[in-house]
Amino acid sequence: MSAVITVKSLAKAYRYAKRRGGFFEAFSPEHVTVEAVAGVDFEVGKGERVAIIGPNGAGKSTTLKMLSGILEPSSGEATVLGLTPWKQRKALAYRIGVVFGQRSQLWGELPARESFALLRHIYDQEAAPFAKRLGELTERFALAELLDQPVHRMSLGQRMRCEITASLLHGPNLLFLDEPTIGLDVTAKAAIRDFIREHARDHGQTVLLTSHDTRDIELVCDRVIVVNQGRIVVDQPTDQLRRRFLGRKIITFQSAGQGVSLNLPGVTRRASEAHATILEVDTRLTRVEQVIAAALADGGIEDVTIEDPPMEEVIAEIYASTHAA
Amino acid sequence: MRRDLTAAAVALRIGAGQAMAGWTVLAGRCLFYVLIMTVLSALWDKVAAEPARGAISLPAGGLVLYVLATEWITLALPAVHMKFEDDIRSGGLEPHLLRPKFYLLQSLAQSLGGTLVRLAVLGVTAVVWLAMTGRQGPPAGAYPYLFVLGVLAVTVGMLLYAVAGLCAFWTRRILPVQLVIQKLMFLLGGLFAPITLYPDWLRKLAEATPFAAHLYWAGVQALAPSGAMFLTAAAWQVLWIVLLSLLCLVLWRAGLAKVLREGGV
Repeated sequence: MSAVITVKSLAKAYRYAKRRGGFFEAFSPEHVTVEAVAGVDFEVGKGERVAIIGPNGAGKSTTLKMLSGILEPSSGEATVLGLTPWKQRKALAYRIGVVFGQRSQLWGELPARESFALLRHIYDQEAAPFAKRLGELTERFALAELLDQPVHRMSLGQRMRCEITASLLHGPNLLFLDEPTIGLDVTAKAAIRDFIREHARDHGQTVLLTSHDTRDIELVCDRVIVVNQGRIVVDQPTDQLRRRFLGRKIITFQSAGQGVSLNLPGVTRRASEAHATILEVDTRLTRVEQVIAAALADGGIEDVTIEDPPMEEVIAEIYASTHAA
Repeated sequence: MRRDLTAAAVALRIGAGQAMAGWTVLAGRCLFYVLIMTVLSALWDKVAAEPARGAISLPAGGLVLYVLATEWITLALPAVHMKFEDDIRSGGLEPHLLRPKFYLLQSLAQSLGGTLVRLAVLGVTAVVWLAMTGRQGPPAGAYPYLFVLGVLAVTVGMLLYAVAGLCAFWTRRILPVQLVIQKLMFLLGGLFAPITLYPDWLRKLAEATPFAAHLYWAGVQALAPSGAMFLTAAAWQVLWIVLLSLLCLVLWRAGLAKVLREGGV
């Protein structure tokens, strides 16, 4: 598999002035250097779908910015599609698609159709292939009803479908996705994940994704790079990582009376509140539906919430295990 | 280059579309234009009726046409400085940097598109206001001059605000810079009265500034149109458009280098 992304000893340190108290100290600020990315190495092959995960401040967005060309590294090398991103930003822009979950690339007051029309000219696309691609994406994403609606009147889920469409209209070889499902409801998240996975598979597109949502990683990516404090601590296929670290669920039972008490293998009780019992379930030993069925049989359940363990816990576990190793 | 200009032309059209889509805001500007002209025309009518009291002589017929032109330009201006400040401070610049076209050119073209729509609608409002109040407008031959100078004047104003907006790369908040530029537009640009009323040394100084290119030259053309005056005015305006464009380019390049190096402001 040929490498689409090659990263060697890539590092980024930020230097900022630390404020100190006092009038005269304001004129001689103390400078602090923070190492956001501390010399990472990895390769991504053509058609691979790779997630970069890690807690806040781990360096994943910084890495993504350097690879997309909008941030210069302090040291190290990287090539993306044969180009050095921060030196050939404009040439690279024609070949990559980028979605920032928390930032819009569309024009709020205008209908999506007009934003797409402007993007055609921004990416120098011929009218006919562009129209064909837009038609396909409109059908796949059920956008027909939305095209003439101003973007600012769309729901977050509708807007995100338009954002992803906008990032694909010029037919990029590589897609960078920074938190693409942030803030979306369950249905919208599922639609986005299905689309990204299927589109990438059908078009042989390479995807590099960052997310805090483990479902994004499990359902979209076939490989996971875990970063912590600017360093790669794990780089392995998703299946292996899931077996090692993501095989746990947190189930919260709300009940009017006393808490739920279950005696099942792999089910442990976490610190709980008065009418809420929080259980941690090792899904390799007991399936989630078995736990819920047992709790319902116990009676008195009013509500159930199923969550992944917080990413910080997963990362902490990974980090602890890598240290132990 | 041709493709860059094509993309800029599309951005200009989109900017015009945005201004028309926000027709309520546009209507509000027109209403404010009528209101402010009603007040200022009353003031200048009174001053013109009692010329002996002033130490300076005013043009015949007062200054209503002058103020009508300067307010026409002022109210058509875009808030491009706020867009730049917002994009630079919020990180909203990033999606634009990931595109192959020049953000500065695209943004200015989009702003100019909206500005031209406002200029046209406010121009019609001015003509209607003149007709409704029974005032005599500029001679018919002055309108083409005014149209050209008006377009150049808003371009100068937009570029002045763009300079203020690009300062956000270093100052984060641009309000102090914006206020200075705005007040100089009023004072050295001659928003309410022509700079010919100033002492000679101050008039000469003001005439050579971008602020006069923004307001004074178009205003004075409404008052006393002439071909020679038009050419002088257009020359000053084009000169300042070139110089301010270069200044914007320098600020943009320095600011972009900072963002690429430091990852934000």
